[in-house]
Amino acid sequence: VTYKWLSYTLGVHVNQAKQMLYDYVERKRKENSGAQLHVTYLVAGNLLQNGHVCHKVAVVREDKLEAMKSKLSTIASVHVYSIQKALLKDSSPLYNTDYDIVKTNLQHCSKFSAIRCAAAVPRTPPDPPRAQTSAQSSQRQRDPDAAGAVNGHGPPAAKAPPQQQRGIMGMFAAKAASKPQDTPKEAKAEAKEAPGVSAASSKAPTKNSIMNNFFGKAAMNKLKVSSVPEQPKEEKEVVKPSVAVAEPESSPNAVVEKPGKKTESARIQQKDMKSKTKRVDRSDDEEERDAENVKKKRKRIKQLQSDSSDEEDMPPSPTPEEERAPSPPPVPALKTELEPASVEVSAGGRKRKRKRVLKSKMFIDEEEGCMGKTG
Amino acid sequence: MFSEQAAPTAQGLLAPPSAKPPTFPRVPVSGYSDCSQPFQLGERSFSRQYAHIYAVRLAGMRPGLEQRARSRWGNDIALRKLSELQAGEKCCVVGTLFKAMQLQPSILQEISEEHNLVPQPPLPKYIQPSDELILEDELQRIKLEGAIDVQRLVTGTILAVYGSEQDDGRFVVEDHCFADLPPALPWNGPTSDRFVLLASGLGLGSVSGDALLSTQLLVDVVTGQLGAEGEQSCAAHIARVILAGNLLSQNTQSRDTINKAKYLTKKTQAASVEAVKMLDEILLQLCTSVPVDVMPGEFDPTNYTLPQQPLHRCMLPLASPYATLHLVTNPYQADLDGVRFLGTSGQNISDIFKYSSMDDYLEILEWTLLAGHISPTAPDTLGCYPFYKSDPFILTECPHVYFCGNAPHFQSKLLQGKEGQQVLLLTVPDFSATQTACLINLRDLTCQPITFSGFGADNED
Repeated sequence: VTYKWLSYTLGVHVNQAKQMLYDYVERKRKENSGAQLHVTYLVAGNLLQNGHVCHKVAVVREDKLEAMKSKLSTIASVHVYSIQKALLKDSSPLYNTDYDIVKTNLQHCSKFSAIRCAAAVPRTPPDPPRAQTSAQSSQRQRDPDAAGAVNGHGPPAAKAPPQQQRGIMGMFAAKAASKPQDTPKEAKAEAKEAPGVSAASSKAPTKNSIMNNFFGKAAMNKLKVSSVPEQPKEEKEVVKPSVAVAEPESSPNAVVEKPGKKTESARIQQKDMKSKTKRVDRSDDEEERDAENVKKKRKRIKQLQSDSSDEEDMPPSPTPEEERAPSPPPVPALKTELEPASVEVSAGGRKRKRKRVLKSKMFIDEEEGCMGKTG
Repeated sequence: MFSEQAAPTAQGLLAPPSAKPPTFPRVPVSGYSDCSQPFQLGERSFSRQYAHIYAVRLAGMRPGLEQRARSRWGNDIALRKLSELQAGEKCCVVGTLFKAMQLQPSILQEISEEHNLVPQPPLPKYIQPSDELILEDELQRIKLEGAIDVQRLVTGTILAVYGSEQDDGRFVVEDHCFADLPPALPWNGPTSDRFVLLASGLGLGSVSGDALLSTQLLVDVVTGQLGAEGEQSCAAHIARVILAGNLLSQNTQSRDTINKAKYLTKKTQAASVEAVKMLDEILLQLCTSVPVDVMPGEFDPTNYTLPQQPLHRCMLPLASPYATLHLVTNPYQADLDGVRFLGTSGQNISDIFKYSSMDDYLEILEWTLLAGHISPTAPDTLGCYPFYKSDPFILTECPHVYFCGNAPHFQSKLLQGKEGQQVLLLTVPDFSATQTACLINLRDLTCQPITFSGFGADNED
């Protein structure tokens, strides 16, 4: 038990802690309780050494105390440094105790000291550099998010440069801010992503940001679409607006991702297209289904076209498509599929890819189901 | 000086807990101005030759030297350039010194394959009796002989020699002089006791942890946690702490990634990362209580060439929000309460130590002040940025405190100049080896070493 440990643990001034230790020692010694207490003292004073007066500060054991005191020409201070039950071989346990307690109280290490410095005020964290931002108004909101996030992650993850973290968190916060509605899903997505980010801080930051780009855009655009669209459209939309958003952003990650996503989505679309045509060929003359298939096919083609054309047109086009709503039966079915799918999408990028493939498969199954039902 | 005030209440804390213990406010920061702008490099381009440094150095110091020469040997002496020399005529020449040393490590010898030479191991001193001195100016060079101490001088010094040229092309020197102390700065020191703590060579990250307790004690004394009330109130007068280099130890320098195979070193990190984290924690504790100036040193993560640029604040995430933390360049110059400080982390002095017969760090320090240049060996044997407009290492004003870090022992001397200059020369010892730091009283330019010790297995004094 050192005086510093006592001071932090009890929340008292260091001098009081020292006095407490002394008091304890005195009382215990008077009681003669039998338990041997070993005390170390701190002695400081002037010492003549090598021809000049040297100020010496030393931690000494009790038995050496008097010897040290006699060596010093003037004694500046003596006080109890620590008390322990066992005799210490060297001072490393003392150092370790102090080190540990200071480490847990790093932000307030001067609270119990005897000297107050008026000038020692932490600066407010400056705005982290924003390479990719969408809205200026989100800045203010971003800062508390970023600062809070960084402060939380700062001491434990000191290795990861805080700027990186701030950048990533800031991106999230930016997305969160720029969104018009605040749905609980978004909050959940954010919360999920936050631990995800901190856990993944040891990974390569670029990979992280790519993944987070994925998340951020996915989460954002998932919820941008207010009405419940059809499943295939939705999945395409998820990709498209994310790509669209990626465009104004100057981040190279997004650019790298964009062609990746595009090809991916194009591929899947192609696959769906093919499967669709296949299904159309195989389908019966069910009006509803045919109409639905055709509509879907139309939508699919339309989407494919619009995909190949300018992406900026994408966001407005889904909405008129939505209005040409498909027949009710597939819609509720799709809706139910949608809910779990959207939730799962926000959970993982890789999962999302899997989900996309799965969705089309589900589509086929559903188609098969429909076909089975009718024929 | 530090403890006389404290003596009366020395035993005060050997008592039962008293009422609210006093807290002392730290003496406020007043009159601090950082004057080390010449050492801060902005855009750096290394495409220039180093010869320009010598040219600007000579051009910069020539007027001062000519004036000194006149005052020393008479107003009517002939000041000649080497190209105007006539045999037998007594004259004075101002030029750059070059010492041709046989043992000087030369990169050309190292890569010379035909010799099949093993690279020369680093020696403590490279001087040899067969070294020669050559004086160079802008156009020519000439060998020097005579009343000049070959062993003592180093390459790059600008000096004025007085003598005559012989027939065989050598210059026989009768006398020589340096630039001497630069003009004094006015003294605006504080009237009350103000202390500055100088420490260097904290050596964090070393394998042995002996000095860690001492470092912690140092921090505790400065932040006021250690000591009785008297000592704490004295510690409150410490206005500033300057850490003069080598915050990390030499052990952090070895990089396994160079020597070992990649698969062995994939998960390891450089030792300096851990050390910088420790440094950050120590700095945080100090910064919450006192303004700190941190100078980089030989083993610190910054550039190798002089002038070393400040450590980047992103390495110290915990401590950098505090306005009391100042990250400064390696030759560091600042005005503290009207007292001009100038100092380095010791690379210049140790380099001169290697190439000169002078053994005492304090002597070398004094010599550099008299030679008017912080680091004469700079481009030759010590890494330096290729300056071409001006040489920032030339001393133009005489500082009040001139220090160098990482010296083997603590030494100090108050130097009085002819024109009323008063300089406190200070060699700050390596803390990891000696556990000693220096306290300077700004009021009267006195200084005192302060030693910390824990108790080890053997309790020595």
